[in-house]
Amino acid sequence: MPRRKKKQGRSGRAVGTVVVMRLYIAANAPNSALALANLAAICNEYLGDKFKLEIIDVLENPLRALADGILVTPSLAKVSPLPAAKIVGNLGEKSTVLRALGVKERTH
Amino acid sequence: MTSSLERKPPRPRAGLGFEGRILRLVKSAPELRAIESGQVDAVIDPATGKAFLLPDAQLALREDQTRNRSLLALSADWTWELDQDYRFISHSSIAAGNAAPYGAGAIGKRLWELPFDLEEADWKVHRRLLEWRTTFRDLELRCTDRAGEVRYVSFSGEPIVDRKGNFTGYRGITRDITERRRVAPIPENGGASRAVLKVPVREQRAATQDRIANHVLAALPRKDYLGLLDGLDAVTLTYGTVLYEPEEPITHVFFPVDCLVSLLTTVEGHHATEVGLVGREGMVGISHALGMNVSSVRALVQGTGTAMRMSAARFRKAFEKCPPLQRALYRYTYAKLALARQTVACNRFHVIEARLARWLLMTSDRVLSDEFILTQAFLGDMLGVLRAAVNKAACSLQERKVISYSRGKIRILDRTGLEAASCRCYTRIEGLNPDAVP
Repeated sequence: MPRRKKKQGRSGRAVGTVVVMRLYIAANAPNSALALANLAAICNEYLGDKFKLEIIDVLENPLRALADGILVTPSLAKVSPLPAAKIVGNLGEKSTVLRALGVKERTH
Repeated sequence: MTSSLERKPPRPRAGLGFEGRILRLVKSAPELRAIESGQVDAVIDPATGKAFLLPDAQLALREDQTRNRSLLALSADWTWELDQDYRFISHSSIAAGNAAPYGAGAIGKRLWELPFDLEEADWKVHRRLLEWRTTFRDLELRCTDRAGEVRYVSFSGEPIVDRKGNFTGYRGITRDITERRRVAPIPENGGASRAVLKVPVREQRAATQDRIANHVLAALPRKDYLGLLDGLDAVTLTYGTVLYEPEEPITHVFFPVDCLVSLLTTVEGHHATEVGLVGREGMVGISHALGMNVSSVRALVQGTGTAMRMSAARFRKAFEKCPPLQRALYRYTYAKLALARQTVACNRFHVIEARLARWLLMTSDRVLSDEFILTQAFLGDMLGVLRAAVNKAACSLQERKVISYSRGKIRILDRTGLEAASCRCYTRIEGLNPDAVP
């Protein structure tokens, strides 16, 4: 137990830090819808209201995605806190998403 | 660094038609892996800046559309679209061979130009709803089809707003409700639009009020609206009544239906100046929703008419329990605040004539009438100027034949002209109407 506490203090998300993310989707195509649902579930479980999410539809706004270095959708980009991270796919693997967001996965 | 593509060429996937061009652009491994495992919907081509849907996603979206269309076909007999001027630009018969009873000549015409049986006053209300860009539901109309039989149809529509937020028209559905009407015929004296089915009194009240009611109330979901109805009673507010005085406790809140309430701020040694105008789009006593049970302004009834009244305590309870009401009122408060800011700037910079024109337009919008009674002294108070200045501005507008003004009776003759004469604040303020916010 003490070890876990120590680790949390060092690499866990600081209390009150707001995670800023951008999700790039293509209308309500199946993978995009899935990604949104998966992300919503993760945010709900781990982030509470400590996050900001911007959703960008690349069919409406492809240049915006391109400027952000996004080539395929669905993609999730973490903007802050640094380091920035990017995940491609329907966000079905919770552990990958959490690692990219810098959030510690609950073991219980 | 070699690209992942060179290291490991992608497996050709069935139906992936443009991999040669696009996939070469995807250099990093995660993207490639995602595409291979079928987790990607669209790819953006950096060369053209365009997004391409992958075939699977295309197929899924198309299926989605088909499903929606078939759902629509189940719930509606016809679908239609109106342009900015409310003219029909499309009118479909979803079920083949099912022609609308109001004739095929609807294209290019407005709803009230079609041969429906509805009183002009009701059309006026409908038009105002359209001008306010509200969603309308179950506008029930009566017409006679080609065989000479009476048919009933019900129109519902919602405004279309493009990506920049500009209003581009309406779209909606029409249902043939003749059968339903035959089962529960309407009373002879009721107009088609006001007619209701045989439903409990409370439901009936809700149904009839829906069409004319105050916008805050009308925006509420039906369940919440019915919950509020018991606490509301209709009162007639007469011209000149003071509802609140500054610093006095609020005992009742009011949802104007067709009356007009002016909010005035008093400055020592001067006449009161108008800082807000509440009509059917809002609520009087908004400070109560914000947690203050005293008024900061004087609320003066300026146009006689009906309002729905609710006791402050009851309102407080309902407000806490009803998030849709909270949302509606917060939006309205925002619009009110923006209006106050705009008014301050307008009163400081714009000429009296433009302000008078704006004020007349705002009043007309709220009372749904082009004619109202206002004395020059009163107008002077409203605009914070001397009576003589009002007279001069009114004469100038009258000379241009946009209004007629005699013995306090004002009539708007040329709305477009008056809009041209008013300052830009009018369009800005009306754009802030909470109903305009999607």
